[in-house]
Amino acid sequence: MKEKVLVAMSGGVDSSVTLLRIIEMGYEAIGITMKLWEYKNFGGNNLQENNCCAVSSINKAKLVCERMGVPHYTIDFTGSFKENVVDNFVDEYLSGRTPNPCVRCNSFIKWDTFIEQAEILGAKYIATGHYAQIDEKNGDYFIKQGADERKDQSYVLWGIPKETLSKTILPLGALTKEEVRDIAREHKLETAEEPESMEICFIADNNYKRFINEYAPDKVSKIKNGKTLDEEGKKLGNNDGYINYTVGQRRGIGLTNPNPLYVKEINPKNNSIIVGEKNSLLKDICKVKELNWLIETPDFPYETHCQIRYNGRKAEGTISIEENEYVVNFKDPQLAITPGQSIVFYNNKTLCGGGIIKLYE
Amino acid sequence: MTKQLYFDIAATTPMDIAVAEIVHKANIENYGNPSSMHMSGQKSHNIVERSRTSIAQILNCKTSEIIFTSGGSESNNIVLKGVLNKGDHLITSSYEHPSVLNLAKHLEQNGVEVTFIKPLKNGSISAKQVKSEIKSNTKLISIMYVNNELGTINPISEIGDIASENEILFHSDTVQFIGKEKLDLSKINIDFATICAHKFYGPKGVGGLYCKNGIILNPLIDGGGQENGLRAGTENISSILGMAKALEISNDSLLENKKKILELENYFIGLLENSNIQYRLNGVNRLKGIMNLTFFGVEGHGLLMNLDMQGIAISYGSACSSGSANAPQALIEMGMEENEARCSVRISIGKMIEKDDIKKLFETICNIISRIKK
Repeated sequence: MKEKVLVAMSGGVDSSVTLLRIIEMGYEAIGITMKLWEYKNFGGNNLQENNCCAVSSINKAKLVCERMGVPHYTIDFTGSFKENVVDNFVDEYLSGRTPNPCVRCNSFIKWDTFIEQAEILGAKYIATGHYAQIDEKNGDYFIKQGADERKDQSYVLWGIPKETLSKTILPLGALTKEEVRDIAREHKLETAEEPESMEICFIADNNYKRFINEYAPDKVSKIKNGKTLDEEGKKLGNNDGYINYTVGQRRGIGLTNPNPLYVKEINPKNNSIIVGEKNSLLKDICKVKELNWLIETPDFPYETHCQIRYNGRKAEGTISIEENEYVVNFKDPQLAITPGQSIVFYNNKTLCGGGIIKLYE
Repeated sequence: MTKQLYFDIAATTPMDIAVAEIVHKANIENYGNPSSMHMSGQKSHNIVERSRTSIAQILNCKTSEIIFTSGGSESNNIVLKGVLNKGDHLITSSYEHPSVLNLAKHLEQNGVEVTFIKPLKNGSISAKQVKSEIKSNTKLISIMYVNNELGTINPISEIGDIASENEILFHSDTVQFIGKEKLDLSKINIDFATICAHKFYGPKGVGGLYCKNGIILNPLIDGGGQENGLRAGTENISSILGMAKALEISNDSLLENKKKILELENYFIGLLENSNIQYRLNGVNRLKGIMNLTFFGVEGHGLLMNLDMQGIAISYGSACSSGSANAPQALIEMGMEENEARCSVRISIGKMIEKDDIKKLFETICNIISRIKK
């Protein structure tokens, strides 16, 4: 009897080709779409074409599954998603940090849930359309970057539980996005020409400021206009509240200066942002919390390559423990190390683990 | 692919072959517009009117009291929107079909006062509960005859009497009852009853509304004055004919079907009783054939998916447009804990089911539960 594989279907081209690949690999596939969000509740359009979780995307997932003779089910996880991802997303912004909701979703919802559903359905594996690869060596499983460097998504996978790797198949890891589209076109899949999905799946218009305003109006309304300070604490002007700024942001600061100014720090306690010239945003140290290792936990200090933002470059750094906290010292200073973002560790192409950036004060 | 076993007749029924045949024939032959003067139009007109008479005779009301609509949701909308104005009070239940429940919530936002009565622990609404909610501005009472998730039967006759004594209009969504039991409208104090063809082996997209003579409603759809001005639009001739035929067949074989379904249900419950499966049949006074069952420790969604992959269709929870589902709302409303509600599914038995099918259902459930139970 064929082994069953639960395939995570978002209704996009990647997950459709994932399904195709799983069938080609000789497995019996079951398509599952997780419904994570109800757009219409927060200023989105349920019918917009490229939102996963929108009815049109779920419909496309169903069409592709039917074409391939695969059962498809939609499971409602809106409650858990709201609690674990969206609430956290809003709280992080309110605390002056810049969250990464995709990481949180993979770490706390997607993998655990899919593994649980796979067990219920008698499936041995789960498969997703992430551009990353899973390798095995002497019974040990680890994640490698996707072959398509521009598309590599290993950055968002650092938080998934290590024990799920042996049950996970990532069939697109060796392909480029163009190859995936070509496969979809060749098989005339309904999703072949689906546009790329949005940056933040639950914010239909990608406008996080509008979203937070609508999602937590009571909390946001308490945030009045704030002060914009220079690095010495001198007031340079007013701003419309810290929540509207992200570390590293240049546009929209509203000050004139011979050299461009960037947001260097966000301070919710006194509703201020500190701005400085580009060079002042360079730092060679940060703390890391909520660490997760996808290799065997290394000995410290541990020299590794660190990536501090999605699609960012890797930088050499050393992880050590100081007063029970993890600290990363970078060999070269890094621009705009942003609290709340993920720092992900690599050894060549292998994803070693990651954590959440904290300020080193 | 194995034979599909369908245990979801409360959601919809397969069309009777005899109905499908006359619908098909009418689609080809009776294309005339019933409003046209020529013979082709007259022929269509007469098909619609004969269907109306047939349905009225079976439900024991006047021919002019039957209005054809696109189905249950539209009929419910015609009544609630047609009767209620700002400042009026509506009494309904908190486990109505969404076409009443969500509409009532919408009307509430527009200034209609609404009381949502929660079902009792036995799964029914009592006449006493309804009576105690009556106010001076109560204009309409809308209580379903049979709840779709539980199969529980509400005391429509008593509620109708209370409405009548208080000069309040009374509507009942009777879609789960008609065709499975005899509905005699002359014996109930009722002003509106909702009819839906696909719940009694008729076509989808067609339904009806019993609207007592003398009551004037504002139409939802204005236009050419069809259906006595209450529902404009060229009549869906073949489906109306199909609905009449389906009701006729259901009515003729009512006792036979009831007997068969009762036997099948008892057989299934007997099998469960003699197994080591921990279960509970929810609701007390139930229409036979609709069973809401809690299988303790077994998530309903997981049971549904596993059964489906083995060719057996059942139902879990309140479906939504994306095809996902939440815990059955009716169970929560009657006071069940959410974790138990999540372990509850609806199995509804139609006339096409045989004893062997029940055995297969039972055995498959046993196998799945022994594998997935926590």
